[in-house]
Amino acid sequence: MLGMLLLASIQAWAQQSVSGRVTTESGESLPGVNVVLKGTGNGTITDSDGKYQLNANQGTLVFSFIGYRPLEVAIDNRSVVDATMIEDVTTLEQVVVVGYGTQQKKDITGAVGVVGEEAFESRSNTQFGTLIQGKTAGVQVISPSGKPSAGFSMRIRGTSSISASSEPLYVVDGIPSADTRSINPSDIESITVLKDASSAAIYGAQGANGVVLITTKRGKTGAPRVELTAYTGFSSPWRKLKVLNSEQYRDLMTEFGQTTDWSQYTANTDWQNEIFQNGRSQNYQLAISGKNERTSYYVSGGWMQQIGAVRSSEMDRYNFRVSLDQQMNDWLKVGTNLSVTKYHDVDVADNTTVNSGGVILGMLSTPPNIGIYRPDGTFTSNPFQDWENPVAATDGSDRDYNNTRLLGNVYAEIAFLKNFTFRSNLGLDYQAGMYDYFLDPFRTSYGRAKLGIGINNTDLRNYYIIDNTVTYNRATETSSFSALVGTVVQKTRWENNNIEKNGFSSDGIPTTNAGSIIVSAGNNKSEKSNASFISRVTYDYNDRYLLTANFRVDGSSSFGPNNRWGYFPSVSLGWRISEEDFFSGVGVVDDLKLRAGWGLVGNDIGTYAFLGRVGTGANYPIGGVIQPGTYPASIQNNDLKWETTEQTNIGIDVALLSSRIEFSADAYIKNTSDLLLNVPLPRSTGFDTGVQNVGKLQNRGIELQLTSHNVTNDDFSWDTDFNISFNRNKVVDILGQQVIGGGVAGRGDVSYSVEGKPLGLFYGYITGGVDPATGDIYYIDRNGESTFNPATEDRTFIGNPNPDFIYGMTNTLAYKNFSLNIFLQGSQGNDVFNATRIETEGMTDAKNQSQVVVNRWRTPGDITDIPRAVAGSTNNSRISTRFVEDGSYLRAKAVTLGYSLPSALISKIKLNQAKFYVTGENLFTITGYKGYDPEVNAFGGNNTVMGVDFGTYPQTRSLIFGVNVTF
Amino acid sequence: MKRKFINTLAVLAVAFTLPSCEDYLDLKPISDATSENAYTRAADAEAALVGAYDSFSQEYYIWDNVLFNDVISDNYYAGGDNAEIFAIEDLNISPTNGRLFNNWSQLYNAISKANMVLEKVPGITDIKLDAGNRRNQILGEASFLRAFHYYQLVKTWGGVPLIVKPVASTDPAETQLERNTETEVYNQIVADLEFAVANLPDTYGGDASVNKARATKGAANAMLAKVWAQRGDRDYNKVLEYANAVITSPAAYSLLPDFDDLFDGAHYNNAESIMEIQFVGGPEANFGPQLLLPPSISGDTWRKFVTPSHDLVNAFDAEGDIERKNTTILFENAPWADEFWSESVNGSVPFAYKWKSANGWASTNRQYLIRLADIILLKAEALNALNRPAEARDALNLVRNRAGLANTTASSSAELKTAILNERRLELAQEAQRWDDLRRNNVAVDVMNNLVEVNVITDQPKDYVMTAQKQLLPIPQSERNRNLKLGQNEGYN
Repeated sequence: MLGMLLLASIQAWAQQSVSGRVTTESGESLPGVNVVLKGTGNGTITDSDGKYQLNANQGTLVFSFIGYRPLEVAIDNRSVVDATMIEDVTTLEQVVVVGYGTQQKKDITGAVGVVGEEAFESRSNTQFGTLIQGKTAGVQVISPSGKPSAGFSMRIRGTSSISASSEPLYVVDGIPSADTRSINPSDIESITVLKDASSAAIYGAQGANGVVLITTKRGKTGAPRVELTAYTGFSSPWRKLKVLNSEQYRDLMTEFGQTTDWSQYTANTDWQNEIFQNGRSQNYQLAISGKNERTSYYVSGGWMQQIGAVRSSEMDRYNFRVSLDQQMNDWLKVGTNLSVTKYHDVDVADNTTVNSGGVILGMLSTPPNIGIYRPDGTFTSNPFQDWENPVAATDGSDRDYNNTRLLGNVYAEIAFLKNFTFRSNLGLDYQAGMYDYFLDPFRTSYGRAKLGIGINNTDLRNYYIIDNTVTYNRATETSSFSALVGTVVQKTRWENNNIEKNGFSSDGIPTTNAGSIIVSAGNNKSEKSNASFISRVTYDYNDRYLLTANFRVDGSSSFGPNNRWGYFPSVSLGWRISEEDFFSGVGVVDDLKLRAGWGLVGNDIGTYAFLGRVGTGANYPIGGVIQPGTYPASIQNNDLKWETTEQTNIGIDVALLSSRIEFSADAYIKNTSDLLLNVPLPRSTGFDTGVQNVGKLQNRGIELQLTSHNVTNDDFSWDTDFNISFNRNKVVDILGQQVIGGGVAGRGDVSYSVEGKPLGLFYGYITGGVDPATGDIYYIDRNGESTFNPATEDRTFIGNPNPDFIYGMTNTLAYKNFSLNIFLQGSQGNDVFNATRIETEGMTDAKNQSQVVVNRWRTPGDITDIPRAVAGSTNNSRISTRFVEDGSYLRAKAVTLGYSLPSALISKIKLNQAKFYVTGENLFTITGYKGYDPEVNAFGGNNTVMGVDFGTYPQTRSLIFGVNVTF
Repeated sequence: MKRKFINTLAVLAVAFTLPSCEDYLDLKPISDATSENAYTRAADAEAALVGAYDSFSQEYYIWDNVLFNDVISDNYYAGGDNAEIFAIEDLNISPTNGRLFNNWSQLYNAISKANMVLEKVPGITDIKLDAGNRRNQILGEASFLRAFHYYQLVKTWGGVPLIVKPVASTDPAETQLERNTETEVYNQIVADLEFAVANLPDTYGGDASVNKARATKGAANAMLAKVWAQRGDRDYNKVLEYANAVITSPAAYSLLPDFDDLFDGAHYNNAESIMEIQFVGGPEANFGPQLLLPPSISGDTWRKFVTPSHDLVNAFDAEGDIERKNTTILFENAPWADEFWSESVNGSVPFAYKWKSANGWASTNRQYLIRLADIILLKAEALNALNRPAEARDALNLVRNRAGLANTTASSSAELKTAILNERRLELAQEAQRWDDLRRNNVAVDVMNNLVEVNVITDQPKDYVMTAQKQLLPIPQSERNRNLKLGQNEGYN
């Protein structure tokens, strides 16, 4: 951009002028095309009608425009030279947003993945994470739950931390952003994923987990454009599980020796029918944008709503956005992005048992024998325990979360001296959240005991970033050089308030003012700040030899005075072999580039992490009055410092057959050291954990990405994108300790991370089988012998939740006005620990069970794999191989059939484009997994607990019908 | 000109953002104190001490001590829906039982708070601490608390790591400690209690709600009596000495005339109470009663976690002990079946009834930490052991007569020993004493193995497999994972 301005200002040297019009193949005028007299700085840009004028009468004109093949036309003394530009299928010239700048794809030396807006078209407008899942290699998107209110979690090239976050840094138009739920995918122009250290190093201490750069839409050259998109749709779970019917449940209870007056329990309720519902969604977005010589604008607004497939779950979002860029004069440019989002959801409790109000497990373990309500309007319970039916958990309480967010920035860019640009940017992210909970004093037993519960929590997050950079760009015939230096300061302040009251007289007033007893009330505040110095140099010689080097210095308030500053260098090199003279003979290869990079990036943790904090609230009544009390909350560690990830990457990019086929491969090795490890301390210290810089983790892997334009006829085209990623994760050193987590079903912890093995392996007993004589499960002990009472030492590694590889494939077919997009996505070789089955096949108490327990052992001699029912004993349902299942899956993530009205028709009604489509998401899933859905984790984005299903809200199948209209 | 100005501005902006960074990054917590500023005044010392007392409102002291003394023994069955609690009743407690780890963690956390007081308070310069000997009182209170918690640890697990200073480093060499011997732990407890006796007042004035909340000389003497009785190398002379010190204390402890008054919720901080947990409701409330009380009181229809045993009910009936039985147990028709009491729903089931008000999980009912009747019966036990049966009978009869029972008929030393043990059972049921009593009298194995409890649904007697090794509980597996030097008690793996 700057270069263009400078070029334009250079004085004309020729007397005569040449003019003309640049059009596309279909004859539409093409504005914004660069027109340069070859070998000179003499150039211009086409106007909104595609016209240009240049002082020249000899030589060759070079026309270039992003997305089109460069075109050279000799002037030959003509005064009018029209040009027709051909759309370029190669993406080499594509401009890619990188940290603090842009680069052409051909110049990139790091490992960078790009997802364009086409990935979001015709998809549910929910969260961008689910939309880019499977779209680019090396990026694993974890959707731990299918509920509308669930966020997503992302791992770029594996999990590189244990106690600190492994989430990448999300940057929206230059502003780091923690919350991804309220970002509106329809406003996104492109997403760049910086995967290796050399590309992420400009983000230094925030870059260890990779960086996701989100660029929102801006006005494009041409007439003002109005775009309207709308859809409506339905969703439902794609599978139901079979449970015992009334009679079978009664049999099981009788076998336990449980008797009751069964005549009271004659209902026949299908709890899955009561809880699962037909989810509905709708989305309406309107965007107006445009650009002229000096101004570009983009204004959008919209609303989307998703009613979940589980009773009472929902979310909705209002969004407004303005982007404005103004070229004030030849040296000053200013602009702003501003978005306001209002987000609302109603969560449902999953990942927990019916005892604790878990809806999914409640649905499975509540016997069909009871109805929903008692005659007095209260919720029914299990005949033997006061476990209320799952409708009590969905309908019994109000649970509303509202969040209003303002995310925006203002910037100014000043061109000064020759080739220098100064840019100053101020970004803000302001979020105000409020959670309201009300449990009425009548319908649930907990509500009755507490006389109602009202909770109101507010949370405020106030973040700002100020960055100032100076850029120097210089290009000659054979080389180009750029340098960037700058400073960044960032600060976040959190403020929370909470109040909880009991003692409500009615269900009429849900707010806390109606309660009579304050259970808790308080607020707290905390802050965190970072200051950084950044620098980068890029150099390219003859388009053949490319160099990028970064150096960033970071300081954080989380770390002690001894180690407050971290230093993060990186360097990467590229060699475009295809530009070498000796390569010119190889006709089929258009582009061949080798890349290699190395760098250090860092990771931060928490707030005040190094301080020995003394907490408050350990209050105790003395003399009948509650006295304030304090307690030691953490151990001081002045040496605490950054967790450092060193990553080496090599890659190759190839384009063949006029870029009909493009192929990239990357191999990397990522070593994380000085892990910020929340080391579990012996509780005899009085503390649970202490943060230390100990330990090492390693991730290494290979990523392949292939794009092929199989057929490119006028009427019919077929493109294929395929990517596959292999990542191997290993705990190298954690001081010989074990990181244990994933406590499920009262059977202890299932996930163990130990040295020399991948993170989060499943750890438990080996089930041998069911003893025909006693009906009890026998386990295989450490000596290979069978035992009914294995010791804790008999446990071993019984499963691995890390996939061997993940992959995605998109096929796009277009025939005349029809288009079909089939997006397959999958994961192979990962195990799931199906702890739901411990609850539904454990047969230890009065919970209803899965249909498979009909085959349980009943009399000596029975040969079966389901043990006998023993009330109160967990010996037959320990954490063991019995519940480990293959979680591999291949699913049709999205299939879209679209139809665009013919242009002849729509131009009559003054439309540019009108497209109707129907999209099915998760239409089918091929998996051997027995639970609701293999894409699951009861522990969300946890670093060390993965692939555990414990009554988790499943991914659903959905169908949406939509229309996109542009005029 | 204008451009030059802007150029200069730009360079300055970049150049001057960095130097102020150190200050920018030096953030102090807003809602927490730090170890540097939290202990500088007398009020800070008091707050740290209150924090140490607050450990009495943790789950261990609310009801886990009942589970591991009354439910594990012949007094109560487990109920509710928690497999880990059923395992306690079944004497089938595995090292992975989560309650063990919680208890261990809570007790050691309580000790760490007391250690912090003992470490920091001597260094605080504030004249308020030196007025009225307050500094030494605070140290005495903290020593008492540390001893109280170590006593729970040592009688549950035997020897445990003895930590008497705040842990200031996460270095495994300093955090992973071997277990001290049982005797070493008891010696530390005795030393702390003796320090407490020397430094604590009999009372803090006339306000019972202070005197029964804080550690006093009486409470420290009472703990010394209990500790000297419970430790393996017991010394009944010392038990007698310290029990007498309590009984004759200037604090004027006395048995309440009416046993029921102890538990009716209208006589908190009474004359018999030596120390009790000071629940006042609201944020400092007792959730324990809701777990035990019957539907008519709790409003719940779910099965409660602690159910009186036939053996306990029979023990009351055998003594004709109506008053204490009615205070301790309430029969009510329950909307669930109970394998020991009620073959089908809506049969009559007994409920643990010493806490009487649930108040929506927020009761003001108090657990006694120490009360006089316990000490009087300990005195009887000591006198009998010291071969002074007449005086022992006198002490025993004090407690019996208060409950409306006639004097004891036990005459021989052995009979008297059994009578005192039984008296303690009836007097102190649901007060977390029974398992300690059985083990101290070396009858835990026999009592449990001879216990006959019949499942009325299956008509099968329950098989309690008690062994000498089960008298100590297993070291929590989770703690062993964190501290590789711990080892395990015999009989567990």
